[in-house]
Amino acid sequence: MPVSHKHSGSPMSRRSFVKGAGAVLAAGAAAPVLAACGAGSASGTTSGGKTTITFASAQFFAKSTIGQMVNEYNNSQKLVHVQFQELPTPSQSTEVHQQLVQSLSRRDGSLDVFTGDIIWISEFAAAGWSAVLDGYFPASTRAQYFPGVIDACTYQGHLHSLPWYLDAGMLYYRKDLLGAAGIGAPASWAELVTAAQKLTNSGKVSDGFNWQAKQAEVLVCDLVEFIGSNGGSILAADGKTVTIAEPKAVEAVQFMADTFGKDKITPKAVLSWDEEPSRMPFTGGQAAFLRNWSYVWSDAQDTSTSKVAGKVGVTKLPVFPGGTSTACLGGYQFGMNAASTKKSASIDFLTWMSSPATQLKWATQLGLAPSRPAVYDQPALAKSNPFMVSLRNIFTGGTPRPKTPKYSQISLAIQAGVSTALATGNVQSNLTSTKTQVEQIIG
Amino acid sequence: MGVPRVLATRSWRQSLTPVILIVPMLASLLAVSLYPVLRTIWLGFRNTSLAIQGDKFTGLANARRLTHDAIFWKAWRQTIEFTAISTLVETLLGLLIALALYKKFRGRGLVRAAVLVPWAIPTVVTSRMFGWLFDQGGVVNYLLVTLHIVRLPVNFLGSTTLALPTLMLADIWKTTPFMALLLLAGLQTIQPSLAEAARIDGASTWRYFSRVRLPLLMPTLLIAALLRALDAFRVFDLPYVVTGGGPASSTETMSTYAYKTLFSGLQLGYGSTMATAMFVTEALIAGAFGLFIVRRMRQEG
Repeated sequence: MPVSHKHSGSPMSRRSFVKGAGAVLAAGAAAPVLAACGAGSASGTTSGGKTTITFASAQFFAKSTIGQMVNEYNNSQKLVHVQFQELPTPSQSTEVHQQLVQSLSRRDGSLDVFTGDIIWISEFAAAGWSAVLDGYFPASTRAQYFPGVIDACTYQGHLHSLPWYLDAGMLYYRKDLLGAAGIGAPASWAELVTAAQKLTNSGKVSDGFNWQAKQAEVLVCDLVEFIGSNGGSILAADGKTVTIAEPKAVEAVQFMADTFGKDKITPKAVLSWDEEPSRMPFTGGQAAFLRNWSYVWSDAQDTSTSKVAGKVGVTKLPVFPGGTSTACLGGYQFGMNAASTKKSASIDFLTWMSSPATQLKWATQLGLAPSRPAVYDQPALAKSNPFMVSLRNIFTGGTPRPKTPKYSQISLAIQAGVSTALATGNVQSNLTSTKTQVEQIIG
Repeated sequence: MGVPRVLATRSWRQSLTPVILIVPMLASLLAVSLYPVLRTIWLGFRNTSLAIQGDKFTGLANARRLTHDAIFWKAWRQTIEFTAISTLVETLLGLLIALALYKKFRGRGLVRAAVLVPWAIPTVVTSRMFGWLFDQGGVVNYLLVTLHIVRLPVNFLGSTTLALPTLMLADIWKTTPFMALLLLAGLQTIQPSLAEAARIDGASTWRYFSRVRLPLLMPTLLIAALLRALDAFRVFDLPYVVTGGGPASSTETMSTYAYKTLFSGLQLGYGSTMATAMFVTEALIAGAFGLFIVRRMRQEG
């Protein structure tokens, strides 16, 4: 019977094959280690003599990415090489926050430059994790940014963060419906209520005014805007006096409750809405007014999903009598690790990232609105994104959320208290108990 | 009768071998599960917080603060309510489905597979789905309004009374298949000859069920219910994704409140006290169930 002799001609025995494979694997595992030693990354410089700094940032995706911007910087000069560490996207801000806190609390300088949400600045400053930037960016430089964002980046009189990009709350409205009814864009909340009631009564829309009251961070953003537009505040400028139960704040929160109470211009579902559920009826053509962030504009003009393309106007949020329009500021800002050992290289990088030319690139390529008013005058911006140019007006009224190191804790207390005030209708008593809670936290 | 000495020594050594084999597994299990529990309890006695850089021993200060924390007790009550109702409904519905799937019918294999689909979908996806379904402009309100059952859309998720029941509904949809399959497996361990015997004796279907099948199914049913109750107690994805704990903290559960305190508020000390309170409550639930099961099994013989 013929026997297969296929393997008898093989020159290699099984034992030597295994030996050979093992050697290849070991070499493969050792190679990266050897390469790293050769590159001298342990000493913080590349073989080309550049200083290496580490930059951690939340990810953004658009025509280009943060990584591409970092490469542009690396190729543009010969002194600094930036190693980019990706963090999750801003929509997972709790995870970004945790990773930054874990890195910075080690105080070992492993991270040099980072980006963080505008609400973490006081927390990082009080913990001693973010470096003071006063000396590197004098008052004349700071005057080149919007005053609201510089305010947000300052803690106890010192600059702890360099502005990157901005976002803020604004009022979207159906200019076609308002025009047909002969009404202009409302400047006061009373005018908005009248216009919304007129449009819902005539059956043109089912929702008058959509905003966000879900028990989440966005409720605090909306709260800052309503209270601020009445001349009130949640926390006084000293960072210790809690003013959320003062008459002006109570009036504003009462108005918020009235929108779905006696005024009936907002569906009660607003208590479960954050940005997307409130946006959908508006771009679906069922709402007359919407308070939301800047991203809604491009969603509204997208003819494949929006029924209101070309019919939407944007303006500043209305005011109560005697108040000024308040837009809650959002957006990520730059920070430098106080424990960094390569501060001058980091400052060079930061200066480039926050320069007018780069801010124009952030705007045209990643859709991130500049924090320098002057950039809005650039013709290149008007050509690529005329909507963004109109945002300058809104950012001028930008206000940060309460600046305190324990912001994350008081935010939770405010969310719970104000949500209860709105859901039960007992505004004064719930705001007073919220005040007590916040005072206990601040200590 | 006495055992010969030689044999006794050999069997002692023989019983040592399995112990030696188990020790490494037991040690790693204790390291991974016991150590974190002990450390959490220990952290509960300190005021550790990543935000304020504090780390001092504060004794029972956290526990005292917990007793005055109104939202914590609201979350505790809501979690117990959620656990009790969803476990009960899932067990009953699961039993009905298991009984229906027990008999042979055409396409039974396909139905059994289809029944598992809700269980297979990741909880985060289910949460998002139910968030959209029960929104003001969602499918449920669309059907209710179109069929003239209500005049205006119902506010499910923004209502302090309807939000938690809506979450319970989502959990029941997702987990009933799991209970149904566990109970189906339990049903199939009952010998078919008992059905024959019952029919010969002239017992009705109901008597056969209540006097024969149900008692034999009890151990499986109780263990399945215990597992389900312990799982439901830890519910996190549904309230966190759909309502964020609101409105007015009416869907706050112990897991979401502890998560917010630990990871958003960065209060490791206070959050650990909450986690310890959760652990104690769950241990009590498991203990109560366990005693009940043990007594039941002793009754059986």
